[in-house]
Amino acid sequence: MTQSFPARLHGITKRFGSVEALRGADLEVHAGEVHGVLGENGAGKTTLLNVLAGMLPPDAGVVEIGGEERVLRSPRDAWHAGVGMVHQHFTLVPTLSVLENLALGLRSAAWRLRLPLADISARVDELSRRTGLGVPLDVNVEHLGVGDRQRVEILKALLREPRVLVLDEPTAVLAPSEVQNLFGLLRDLADGGRAVVLVAHKLDEILGVAHRVTVLRRGRTVLAAHRSEVDAPELIRAMVGSAETDPIAVGAWKDDGTPMPRVPGEVVATLARARVWDGRGSWALDDATLDVRRGEVVGVAGVEGNGQHELALVLSGRSVPTEGSATVPDGVGFIPQDRTLEGLVGDFDLTSNVALGLHRDARFASGPGGMLVRWSALRAQTRDLLARFDVKAAGPGVRAATLSGGNQQRLVVARELEMARDLLVAENPTRGLDVAAAAFVHGELQRLGQADQPPGVVLISTDLDEVLALSHRIFVMVRGRLTSVPDGARSREGVGALMLAANHA
Amino acid sequence: MVEAAALAAFLEASVRLGVPLALAALGETVTERSGVINIGLEGSFIAGALGGAVGALFFGSAATGVLAGSAAGLVVAAVFAAFVVGLNTDQIITGTAVTLGGLGFTGAVYQARFGATGTALTLPTLAPLPIPLLSDIPLVGRALFAQAPTAYLAYALAPALWYFLFRTEWGLELRAVGEEPAAAEAAGVRVRWTRATATIFGGALAGVAGAHLALAHAGTFSENMTAGRGFIAIAVVVLGRWNPLWVLAAALFFGAASAFQFFLQTLGLDLPYQLFLAFPYLLTLAALAGWVGRSRAPASLALPWPRGTPGA
Amino acid sequence: MRDALRRLGPAWAALLALFATIVVAGLMLVAGGYDAGLAGGALVAGAVGSREALLSVTMVRSVPLILTGLAVALAFRAGVWNIGAEGQLYAGAVAGAWVGLSGGDLPAWVLVPAVLGASAGAGMMWALVPTVMKLRLGVGEVITTLLMNFVGINLAAYAVHGPLQEARGVFPQTDPIAAGARLPALFPGTRLHVGFLIAVALAVALWALLRWTRAGFVLRSVGAAPGAARVAGRMDARRTVWVAFLTSGALAGLAGGVEVSGVTFALYEGLSPGWGYTAIAVALLAGLHPGVVVVTGILFGALEGGAGSMQRVAGIPATWVIAVEALVILSVLAVDQLRRRVVRGGVHG
Repeated sequence: MTQSFPARLHGITKRFGSVEALRGADLEVHAGEVHGVLGENGAGKTTLLNVLAGMLPPDAGVVEIGGEERVLRSPRDAWHAGVGMVHQHFTLVPTLSVLENLALGLRSAAWRLRLPLADISARVDELSRRTGLGVPLDVNVEHLGVGDRQRVEILKALLREPRVLVLDEPTAVLAPSEVQNLFGLLRDLADGGRAVVLVAHKLDEILGVAHRVTVLRRGRTVLAAHRSEVDAPELIRAMVGSAETDPIAVGAWKDDGTPMPRVPGEVVATLARARVWDGRGSWALDDATLDVRRGEVVGVAGVEGNGQHELALVLSGRSVPTEGSATVPDGVGFIPQDRTLEGLVGDFDLTSNVALGLHRDARFASGPGGMLVRWSALRAQTRDLLARFDVKAAGPGVRAATLSGGNQQRLVVARELEMARDLLVAENPTRGLDVAAAAFVHGELQRLGQADQPPGVVLISTDLDEVLALSHRIFVMVRGRLTSVPDGARSREGVGALMLAANHA
Repeated sequence: MVEAAALAAFLEASVRLGVPLALAALGETVTERSGVINIGLEGSFIAGALGGAVGALFFGSAATGVLAGSAAGLVVAAVFAAFVVGLNTDQIITGTAVTLGGLGFTGAVYQARFGATGTALTLPTLAPLPIPLLSDIPLVGRALFAQAPTAYLAYALAPALWYFLFRTEWGLELRAVGEEPAAAEAAGVRVRWTRATATIFGGALAGVAGAHLALAHAGTFSENMTAGRGFIAIAVVVLGRWNPLWVLAAALFFGAASAFQFFLQTLGLDLPYQLFLAFPYLLTLAALAGWVGRSRAPASLALPWPRGTPGA
Repeated sequence: MRDALRRLGPAWAALLALFATIVVAGLMLVAGGYDAGLAGGALVAGAVGSREALLSVTMVRSVPLILTGLAVALAFRAGVWNIGAEGQLYAGAVAGAWVGLSGGDLPAWVLVPAVLGASAGAGMMWALVPTVMKLRLGVGEVITTLLMNFVGINLAAYAVHGPLQEARGVFPQTDPIAAGARLPALFPGTRLHVGFLIAVALAVALWALLRWTRAGFVLRSVGAAPGAARVAGRMDARRTVWVAFLTSGALAGLAGGVEVSGVTFALYEGLSPGWGYTAIAVALLAGLHPGVVVVTGILFGALEGGAGSMQRVAGIPATWVIAVEALVILSVLAVDQLRRRVVRGGVHG
C-alpha cells in the first residue's frame, strides 16, 4: 500500500498573465509534522499555498488531500477537504466583532437562518483553553493589535478542525517572543496528529521549528528534505541558485560592524516631541524626538503597525504632527512601502510617474509662474533615469502598470533619490522584491553615503536584518514610541529584548 | 374640526407617499450592505411602475400588476448587476446609465403602446385594505392601517430584513461581503454571487415600489412619474444608517415631507407649488448634511471586486 | 480576438462601442416590430441630411452637450462624480435669463458677457453645495449632485410660473430676453450661434490645460490615483477637488446660459431634455478627452436632432434616443472592461 499523505501537490503550474508564478511545483506534507516552505520573494510560495487552500485554481497539476485527488474551486472546498489557511495579509472584517469574524462562513445553522453566536462562543472558549490562544470576543477587530489579529486568524482556521493547517508568513507581524509561543503551538498541533505547513522567508525560523522543508525557486520545487539532512548554507544555495548568491538579500549576512563609513554632517531633519493622533483613541506616533544628520543612516526597526507609517509620513513632510513639531527639508525623497498605491500611478506612463515627483522642480517648468510642464525635458530625464538605474522598460512612454514589481521599485527609487538632496525616507523599501532588486536597493542606499553632499537617510523596516546591516544608529518602534538601541545591543537578540521591554512598559 | 381632518389626511398621505420610498430603500439597504450602490434604482422604480400598470391592465388585477412590476424592477437590476458584478464596471456610471435607460425605455414603450398624447390609463387600483381594530386607532389608525397591502409589506419587511441582516448567517456573510470582500471570500463566501443576489433583490423591491406608485397612488402611468424617488430612496438608506428599521422611519419621514404641501393647501396657505416639489430634495440634502458625519457606510461600498489581478 | 483587442486604441474602442450600440439598439427595434433600417435612415437624414439639418439642428443641439460634456469630463478626470450637470445647467439658465431680461438697452458687449458670466457663476454656486458637503461634511457627491438636479429643475419651474413669468401670465415661460443679450448667429440664415465657437474654444483650452500645465497634471494625478498624488506627488487633493468641482459646475451653468442666449431667447420649463445626463455619455465616449468631447457632442447632437424625424418616419418615440444613450454608456463600459481584461492595468491615458 502506498503511503497516503494529508496533502500532496504535484506538478502545479500557475500563470498570471505573462508571469509564470509556478511551473511544476511539488509539495508533500506528512501527518504530524511541521513542514517549512522556503524561497525568495517571488519564488511562488504564497501562490502554491493559495492553490492548496482553494484560493487559486491551478492551470495544471494534481492536488491530493487525504489520498484523494481533489479539485478545489473555493476556500470552502478546501475546508471540506480538511485544509485551513492563515493568510499573510489578514482576512478579517475590521468592522465586525472577533466573534462574528470567527462565525463568518461556518454555516452551522440550518438554512443559515440563525446566527448561533452563543454556541460558537462556547466552542471558541474551549479551543482557547486547549491552545492558549486568548482573545476578547466582543471587541471589533479594528481595535485589535496585529498580534491579537493573528491569534484570531489562527483560531478561525482551527475552528474548522483542519487536518492540514497552512500558515503564510505568520511571523512577519510578531515580536520575537511571540514567535516562540507560536512555534510552540504549531509543534503541539503537529504532535496532535495534524500537518502544519509554514512559510517564512527567515531561514533560522524555519530551521528552528520544521521537521521537514521544501524549497521553491522560480516556481519549481528544488529541494525537499528532512530537517536533519540539510544545513543552512545548502538551503540558501537551493533558494537563490548558484549564480546569484547575494548574502544581504536572503537575510544571512553577519553583523560585523558598521556597514558604511559614517561622515555625519549638519542636522537636516528634526522631530521634537511629535505626536500623531490616530483618530481612534490613541497616539499612532507618540512623543517622538529625533535628529537626522547628513551622511548617516538612521534605522527604525519594529513589528508592523506600530506607527512606522505615521513616522514616515511626518519625516517626509507628507503630514504634520498633531502635537509637537517636525522640521523637514525641501529636498526630501520618500520611498513609500506601497509603491502601487502611494508610489506610482499605474495608468500613467513612466514620464508622468517621474513628473509626479519632479513637477515642482524649476528645471522642468516654463512659462509665466512656471505653470507649464516641460514634458520634453522630463522625457529626457526619465530616459536618463531608466538607463542609470537599469529599469527594464521599452521606453519612457510605457505605462507603469506594465512593469514588473522590481522595475517599478527601481523607478520609484530612481525618482526619489533624484529628489533626496537633503533627506531620504525609505519605508520597507525591499518588501516584495526579488533578490536582484533588493540588492539593488541596498546598494543604492549604501552608495548615497559616498556623495559629496550626502543626504540623511531614515530606513524604516520590519526586516530587522536589513536595519542592522545598513544603519549607523538604530531605534525600535513599539506602540508609537521610539526607543534608542545602544551600540551594545546591536543584534537580533538585543533588539528583540528591547521590543519586548517596550511592549510591557 | 377642519384641522384634525386635515391632520389625519396629512398623515394618511405621508404614509402613502412614504411606502414606495420605504420599499425601494429597504431593498437598497440590502444591496448596499453587500457593497453595491445601485444608482440605477430609479430605473428599476420606473420599470416597476410601467410593469405594474401593464400587468394590472392585461391580467386585470392589481395583484398581478404588483408581481409584474416586481419582475420588471428585477430585470433592470439584473442588467445593472451583470455589468457591475459580472463585468466589474464602475457602479456610479453604470447606475446612471441604467437609470437613463430605464426612463428612456419605459417612455418609449409607453408611447408606442398607449400613444404619445398622454391620455391617462385607467387601471385596476391597489385599494386600501383596512385592518380591523388597528385602523380604528384615533388619528394614526387610518394613516397606518388603512393602506394598500404593499404598505403592510413594507412594515413587515423592515423587521424581517433587520433580523436577516443581523441575526442570521446569511446576513453576516452579506455584511462581510460589503465590508471586506477579501475576508468574506477567504471565509468561503461567494462574493459576486452574494452581490448579484442582493442587487437583484433590491431591484425587485424597487419594482414593487414603482407598481405601488402606479396602482395605489397615481392610478395611472406617466413618463418620468417616479421623479427621482429612486435617488431619494438611496439618500433615505444613508439617513437610516443602513439599518432597515431606521430606513423605514426615514422613508415615512420623507413621505411626510412630500405630503406637507397638501397639508398646507388644505389649511388655505397657498405657497408656490414648485418650491414644495423641491422641498423633499432640500430636506434630504439638509438631513444628509446633518446626519452622515455620524454614520458609517459599508467599507467596500461602490468598490469593484475582484480589485485587481492577484500577484504571485 | 485577443490580439485584436490588445492593439485596440481608444478611438477604435469608442467605435466598437458605437457599433455594439447600433447592433443592440437595432435588434431591440426589430424585436419591437419596427423597421430598424428605416429608422436609422430617417435618423441620419434628419440629423445631417441637409445643410439646414446639420447647422440648425445637429450643431445647435451639440452646443449644450459639448459644454456639459466638458463639465463631466473635467470632474471625472479629477475623480469627482459630478452627476449634477443637469441642475447646474438649469441654475445657469435661470440666472442667464434673469440677467438677459433685466438688461434693457445695454449693448451686446456688456450684456452678453454679463449673461454668460451670471450663468457660469450660478452653475458654480449650484456645485458649491455638493462640494462643501463632500469636503467639509464627508457626504459623497453622487447623491447630493443628483438631488441638486431636482432642486434646479424645480427652481426653473418656479421662476417661469412665478417671478420671471411672461407679462401676459399665460404660459410658463419668460418674456424674450433683451436683444443685446442674444448671441449672434454664426452663419446668416441658420440657427447656429456663436456659442458653438465658445464651446470649441473651451474644449481646446481645457485640453491644453490638462496636457501642458502643472495644474492640469495635478488634476489628472489626483483623479487617477489619489494616494500616489498625495504621497509621491505631495499634491493637495482637496484644493484640486474644490477647483475642479466648481469649474465643472461653471461649465454646466454656462451651457444653460448659452442655450437661453443663443437659441431659445427665453426660459422655459423643461428647457433641457436631460442634457446633463447625456453629457455623461458624451464624456465617456470621448474617453474624458476635452478635444474629443467636441466630436462626441456633435454625434449626440445628431442623435437627438434626428430623433424627431425618426419618430415621424418610422413611428419610433423620440424618447427612444435616451435609451440609446444609455446603451452607448454601457457599451463603452463593457468594451473598456474587456480591454482591461486583456491588457492588464488600465486604458485612460
